[in-house]
Amino acid sequence: MVDKILFLIFAVLAVAGGLGTITRKNVIHALLLLVFTFINVAAIFFLTQAYFLAVVQILVYAGAIMVLFVFVVMFLNLRTFREQEQTHRGQRWVALALSVLVLAEFVIILAGITFTSARGGFTPEAVAAAGGSTKVFGDALFNQMLLPFEVASVILLVAMVGAIILVKKEKSSDVATRAWGPGAEPSADTAEEEV
Amino acid sequence: MPIPVDWYLYLSAALFIVGAAGVLMRRNLFIILFSIELMMNAVNINLVGFSRFHENLVGQNFVLFTMAVAAAEAAVGLAIATALFRNRQTLMVDLFDRMKG
Repeated sequence: MVDKILFLIFAVLAVAGGLGTITRKNVIHALLLLVFTFINVAAIFFLTQAYFLAVVQILVYAGAIMVLFVFVVMFLNLRTFREQEQTHRGQRWVALALSVLVLAEFVIILAGITFTSARGGFTPEAVAAAGGSTKVFGDALFNQMLLPFEVASVILLVAMVGAIILVKKEKSSDVATRAWGPGAEPSADTAEEEV
Repeated sequence: MPIPVDWYLYLSAALFIVGAAGVLMRRNLFIILFSIELMMNAVNINLVGFSRFHENLVGQNFVLFTMAVAAAEAAVGLAIATALFRNRQTLMVDLFDRMKG
């Protein structure tokens, strides 16, 4: 019972954080609300007894990936975008209506079906008896899922090389020297504003 | 008393639609990248919920791979955003129309 109440609280907070993310004008505010959503999702993983994934969610998602985003957002000068229009002029209401429609479809479909469990045997009691969530998780990962695990490492390597090549400045071209936004370089008083 | 699997699905659907609405409505490239992360998290919730429901750990393992792909996507997406900003001095996606798409 307590589980269900906590789940509802964290679910509402996660969706509220998501809604805040897509409505903020300020990119940093949106980013912090996104981190808030991720932490609530981690709490839901805890409630599901996926302890390892909950910690990885906080460390990797809310930690590493979001720090990468914060770094790049602060690296670029985005303060001019706050005065511009934030949504597509022609399609914002159509997009909103379509989103609500698809959500209604999801709810109608989910309300009409019932699931039966496959009973794979990894109940929380069985997992605790076998040495804990992380041990069972690692056993499954490095036995059944060894090849996908290695492929994931190759994907990360390719992404790293690709990112380096994409942001590398070409020596021959003389564009790409202006790092500031439209207009001149920011004066000293505007540089002290927030992003 | 476990949490019913339907609740995970409703939460996942809500988060996914929020992310999809963000992709469709916003002009800022960064907000679109955040919305994609939101959608990936919705899928993760779905996988973990079904992993618990079916008492099977493959779903949880799959979440780890989703996170690896999300990290790769964030790195490449941010590199593309940096390169675009360097060349065009804007991040509003409807202004990137050089290829007449």
